[in-house]
Amino acid sequence: MTVMEHLQALAGGIGTTVTLTLAAFGVGAVAGFPLALARRSSQWWLRLPALAVIEVLRAIPPLVWLFIVFYVIGADFPLMTPFQAAVAGLGLIAAAYLAEIYRAGLDAVPDGQWEAASATGIGTLTTYRKVVLPQAALIVVPPAATYLIALLKDSAVASVVGTTDITFLAFQEARVTLEGFEVFVIAAALYLALSAPVALVARTADRLISRRLGL
Amino acid sequence: MNHPPQPLLEASDICIAYGGHQVVHDVSLAVAPGEVISLIGPSGAGKSSFLRSINWLEPPCSGTLTFDGSTFRGLRDGGVSKRQLQGLRRSIGMVFQQFNLFPHLSALENVVLAQVHALGRSKAEARERALQELHHVGLGEVTDKLPSKCSGGQQQRIAIARALALDPQVMLFDEPTSALDPEYAMDVLVTMRRLADEGMTMLVVTHEMHFAAEVADRVVFMAEGRVVEEGPAAALIRDPQHERTQKFLAAVKGR
Repeated sequence: MTVMEHLQALAGGIGTTVTLTLAAFGVGAVAGFPLALARRSSQWWLRLPALAVIEVLRAIPPLVWLFIVFYVIGADFPLMTPFQAAVAGLGLIAAAYLAEIYRAGLDAVPDGQWEAASATGIGTLTTYRKVVLPQAALIVVPPAATYLIALLKDSAVASVVGTTDITFLAFQEARVTLEGFEVFVIAAALYLALSAPVALVARTADRLISRRLGL
Repeated sequence: MNHPPQPLLEASDICIAYGGHQVVHDVSLAVAPGEVISLIGPSGAGKSSFLRSINWLEPPCSGTLTFDGSTFRGLRDGGVSKRQLQGLRRSIGMVFQQFNLFPHLSALENVVLAQVHALGRSKAEARERALQELHHVGLGEVTDKLPSKCSGGQQQRIAIARALALDPQVMLFDEPTSALDPEYAMDVLVTMRRLADEGMTMLVVTHEMHFAAEVADRVVFMAEGRVVEEGPAAALIRDPQHERTQKFLAAVKGR
């Protein structure tokens, strides 16, 4: 078998890997926000549950977590496809990680910004919207992009519950052709090619942000 | 200005504590309209804490503040509502040691923001006013720059313009020149002196004794969280009565 043939066999999984990663990241980006706010709350009944959820989701290996979602939760929703289960499972893990990234971003906005805003008499909500979030959003871009790359790699575990991503097709191709080494090197190259542009964006963003915020 | 009948702002028996450690003890101060008061004293004297209690950035644990016909009570005496606080803060301008400009906004946007979101001015009106205030502090040329592209002296004057644009009745300055090179500090002090000449009521925590002596009407010397001595600015700095004040001023002048 030639490299081209292996590549053709795996190419069908690229779309699935990318969609799965972006969908899980999207779930995490949205769900992570209230989780981060709860985690920073001065109210213990918000803070402690948020902390528990974040720590549990981060402590369980993605592989184990996916099996739990697929077999336990999936049993109650028989219509859930492997892809949907993977989006839900990885999305929840992403929510936990992104919540911590958001929290760090919010914490990185100096107290003086809150003081300056409240000293002018603008409300808490406006302070968040106009002063704190725009700065935190910039601070969050590089670590969030780094996490996106990590998630791209973690998405490979979805193959074990039957999501037909790059890794799933690589398993198949290796079994059929018995050229496991070549096949998985190609799979690795595909993951590398997908993550490189994200890494580039992260680096550029980091530079621009430092300049913009005068850090 | 000598004891006019009605003070604009009156702080009575202000106490401030951090985690059980009291840093300001029963400080009282009445401020007449148009009066400029300098708060001086060694670090840790509670000057900044007291200043910050006036717009409730440092809520006092006890004591009261009377301003513009309203009374604000310390935490132990009932505290204040959020709405009350916003009203108080909209009428009192504050300038910080570290400027605390919004780094993601241009100089102009820094001055526009609170006008729109605290006072409800239209964007056009706020812009107009911001340009006016920036010109007023001598910064007509930096309006579109980010704070990080401005010198420290310019940043602090942007911060002054940001506060002035809200038409404050009182301006609080918390060591406004301490983070600045002497050259830039002078620009800020000149701006402050002009404000004082224009009749702005000002409370200034400062280590600039020249400013205190020349611009302030009255000087309050604090040490260990208490007011030790107060009096007409020039006289107090030239001829302090209390031993603690003498020691402090001798040390500062000897520098």
